[in-house]
Amino acid sequence: MASSRRGGRSRITIGLLLLSAVLLLTLDGRGSGPIDSVRSSVLTVLSPLGGAATTVASPFRNAWDSAFDQNDLKKENDVLREENDRLKGDISANSIAKEQLQQLLQLVGIPFVGDTPVVHTRVVSGAVGNFGDRIELDKGSSSGIERNMPVVTGQGLIGKVVEVGENRSVVALLSSGTFRVGFSVVGTAAIGIAQGTGNDGSLRGTNIDSRQAVTVGAITATSGLAGSPFPPNLPIGTITAVRTNEAALESTVDISMFANLNDLVYADVVLWKPAS
Amino acid sequence: MNHPAIRYIVIIGTAAFLQYTVFSQFRIAGVSADLFLVVAIAAGIVAGSERGAVVGFLCGICLDLLVVTPFGLGAISGLVAGVVAGLLEGATIHSARWLTAAIAFLSSGAGVVAFAIAGALLGRPDLLSLRVLTVTLVVGASSALLVFPAVRVCRWADPEVGRLRAAVR
Repeated sequence: MASSRRGGRSRITIGLLLLSAVLLLTLDGRGSGPIDSVRSSVLTVLSPLGGAATTVASPFRNAWDSAFDQNDLKKENDVLREENDRLKGDISANSIAKEQLQQLLQLVGIPFVGDTPVVHTRVVSGAVGNFGDRIELDKGSSSGIERNMPVVTGQGLIGKVVEVGENRSVVALLSSGTFRVGFSVVGTAAIGIAQGTGNDGSLRGTNIDSRQAVTVGAITATSGLAGSPFPPNLPIGTITAVRTNEAALESTVDISMFANLNDLVYADVVLWKPAS
Repeated sequence: MNHPAIRYIVIIGTAAFLQYTVFSQFRIAGVSADLFLVVAIAAGIVAGSERGAVVGFLCGICLDLLVVTPFGLGAISGLVAGVVAGLLEGATIHSARWLTAAIAFLSSGAGVVAFAIAGALLGRPDLLSLRVLTVTLVVGASSALLVFPAVRVCRWADPEVGRLRAAVR
């Protein structure tokens, strides 16, 4: 009897906790202010600890990474060698390839942000959990950084600012799938919406008009259409696969991001806000 | 300091500090150990599913404060892990180290999968990708190792319940 009473109480407790979690999810989904404030306060308090811990743990982490990611490094090295050889061949083979390379270099160079001011920051901490990639930067609102500002490296767009403390900010990485970005395919009129797949550096682009000639290898950049939270022409990545649904007149593409998200040391926050 | 609630708060605070500063930096295949899940599982093993649920919920809230995923997903994940650990521990008729490790592995897997499914239901289908498998395996293996010290710490937080449950078995 006592056991069944205890079991009943236990079920009620678990049910109430579950309801509380659902309530929190609902509040967060509606953009509740208090949750954002608490997250920002925690960031402000913990950030100095995170920065110090990253510095102290750096040699140990390097040893750990080299022990567990050796295969990845070898693979990456092989891929880079292959790519290097291919680019060399292309350059010497024909002038068209040279022009394409020139265009690519222009796109991936930092001048893509044009005259828009940027804040140079250092990445002080990586992801804490195992889902929803994020990084922490060593500058915040005191440097003019605000929520939703785009974050880039010399290679292209990597994410947007989602939390801001006085001297720290948190960036949700584009690959994490926590937000979407409108993109255009360079050299065509095709536009679409890209979202992270949860895998490193991999995006899925949807809502592309199938009548547009989108090919593997084409370069994508932010479209910057009206209302977009990103300025136009921030390089995103190259298209690695195209699938067309003729019935829906829609194409879906896989995009490999230009920026390497595994080894971020510095990042620039573009002080850009969409026109109201 | 003698009340279990206060001791659990100290444990969860310490877990949050260690996860943020140390454990998140050491990753295998991009996945780190999840101390919050480990504490929830240890509480479930030591004091049953109800305590596991409460501790797991609080651990999850702490995780939610540190990540960018929807607020509340971590709470569901911790709650599920704590409840599953308590139920599995209650269903076993003898105790063995391998059994405790297996319970930790399965419970953390349940927590990770609950996180991914709840996220997918909330419009984040990317959370339910093949990566879940990697996360489940790495987090499960690390939980199976870390659960032993965590159980000791939870026995310190919950000495009466821990002794009672040990005596019953």
